[in-house]
Amino acid sequence: MKMKSKTLRTLVATAVVVVVAVGFVTNLGIGTISAPGFWDISILCPLGALGTMLASKMMVPRAVISLAIMVLLIILFARAFCGWMCPVPLVQKVRGLFSKKGGKKAKAGAKAAAGSEAADSEAADSGAAAPLTEAERASLSASCSKGGEGGCASCAAKRGSAPDARHFVLGGALLSAAVFGFPVFCLICPIGLTFATILLVINLFAHGDVTWSIIVVPALLIAEVVLFRKWCHKLCPLSAFMSLIGKANKTFVPAIDDAKCLETAKGTACGACGRACDEGIDPRHPQLSEAAWSECTKCRACVDACPTNAITMPLLPKKRADGPEAGDAAGGGLDAAASEGAGAGAAKP
Amino acid sequence: MSNEPRADAESARAPQKEKTYAGMTRRTLCLGAGGAAVMLGLGGLKYVGSQSIIRPPGGQDEERLVSACIRCEKCYEICPRDVIAPAHIEDGLLNMRTPTFDFSANWCDWCAEEHDGVPLCVKACPIEALKLPEGATAENTIIGKAVINTDWCLAYKLIGCRFCYDACPYEAMELDENNRPVVIADKCNGCGACESVCVSLQNGSISEGATARAIVVHPLDEVEG
Repeated sequence: MKMKSKTLRTLVATAVVVVVAVGFVTNLGIGTISAPGFWDISILCPLGALGTMLASKMMVPRAVISLAIMVLLIILFARAFCGWMCPVPLVQKVRGLFSKKGGKKAKAGAKAAAGSEAADSEAADSGAAAPLTEAERASLSASCSKGGEGGCASCAAKRGSAPDARHFVLGGALLSAAVFGFPVFCLICPIGLTFATILLVINLFAHGDVTWSIIVVPALLIAEVVLFRKWCHKLCPLSAFMSLIGKANKTFVPAIDDAKCLETAKGTACGACGRACDEGIDPRHPQLSEAAWSECTKCRACVDACPTNAITMPLLPKKRADGPEAGDAAGGGLDAAASEGAGAGAAKP
Repeated sequence: MSNEPRADAESARAPQKEKTYAGMTRRTLCLGAGGAAVMLGLGGLKYVGSQSIIRPPGGQDEERLVSACIRCEKCYEICPRDVIAPAHIEDGLLNMRTPTFDFSANWCDWCAEEHDGVPLCVKACPIEALKLPEGATAENTIIGKAVINTDWCLAYKLIGCRFCYDACPYEAMELDENNRPVVIADKCNGCGACESVCVSLQNGSISEGATARAIVVHPLDEVEG
């Protein structure tokens, strides 16, 4: 049984936390996610770099360089940081640990997921179990421009294509930094608070460093990301920054092999990829997505969910097949497989 | 079976006639405005007032340090003597997680052995929050001033302790006629050597009511009043 991307992502994020913790007890200068690096070389958090330059009204060469590198990385990987490295999703797992109700819900959710997976594979087996009606086809291929009267609210509110609450927080954070003269968001950044909590615990046991911070810092962290379940989607300014730059992302975008996809190859209803996406992107029907492609965290949930393994994340885009009709399927699939082997390497097909 | 989830999805996709403001629902707009307001409110913490604390080399310009520090803990990590520590909430909300000194086990010699007298914290700070002015040396950079609490100091009980006097690398201490240590404030730069060797708080020698060591480096403005 192959390792699910979800497990792999949890392991990678945990590994990041462990490496930072090693940094805390050694003098290697590994740094936290705010400034990871080695010895005296480090790359800065883009939001920290922007905030601090606005606050101190200074151009710091190191900050400018690392900002440029970060922008390049975001263009290359979009919001992959959110999916693979950020410790906040790990912290959010404590919600499931402490509430019995939540645990049950999670189990029920897992069952439902298993059920729908079974349904998916059933559909794959029986092939023409549920052919699309003409009306369904029409609704699936309908785009906003064709949608008639005023379009749909879901398009207007598509996350990532129009500014949303996160962008207000981003703007507020940068404005506040410029006005009050210190990087305001760093005070409450849940990523920083996660590592601060770890450091406080290490110092409590290693040096007997007793302080109220050890109550206040985790409490703030919990308040932010556990009570606000939608922190990442609705409030995180770092996520807002990455989604803005991520609009330029053209690499590692999920591509569907139309020769394998149930909907195009057999005309069956599926939609498993769209349901699997935590961000609300529907790779099969991007025009119906709740979020723009710039929100993609490269989490590979759609790749895992596809009952026929039709989805790959090639390094470079081929001719992008936006509608079910476009794209020459067989050749594209081969290309995708080849370039995935060369580029991604994160999970074996 | 397989039709059921589809039906759900269909109803979710049905156009909702929700009023939007510049492409945002009212809920999104309120959340965003609230978030931005919280950010601006947090900025106001600057005026709540934080107590002054001692800073690592290059952090003597408090305004600069506060405006630039992103609380990345890099200086804390790289310090070869482990004397840099993140400040706590007791030092003020704004100071929390910014760098300060903890002289309980060691003191700051500007990395004389480890890095030829160029402090590693200054070199490692990715955002130049710790930055030494031109010509700054360990001698002319004042981290703080050592102050003796004569109620807690063992020597002032005529026990004859002189650990701090022996430890001072800058000859900033002298012994009075009763062999009690006295700080020569003009020569002290707050390196912490005296504080790191003070035994007044150790087992068997605790003075009544003592909550800290008898010689502690205080921030400059605290000493000068």
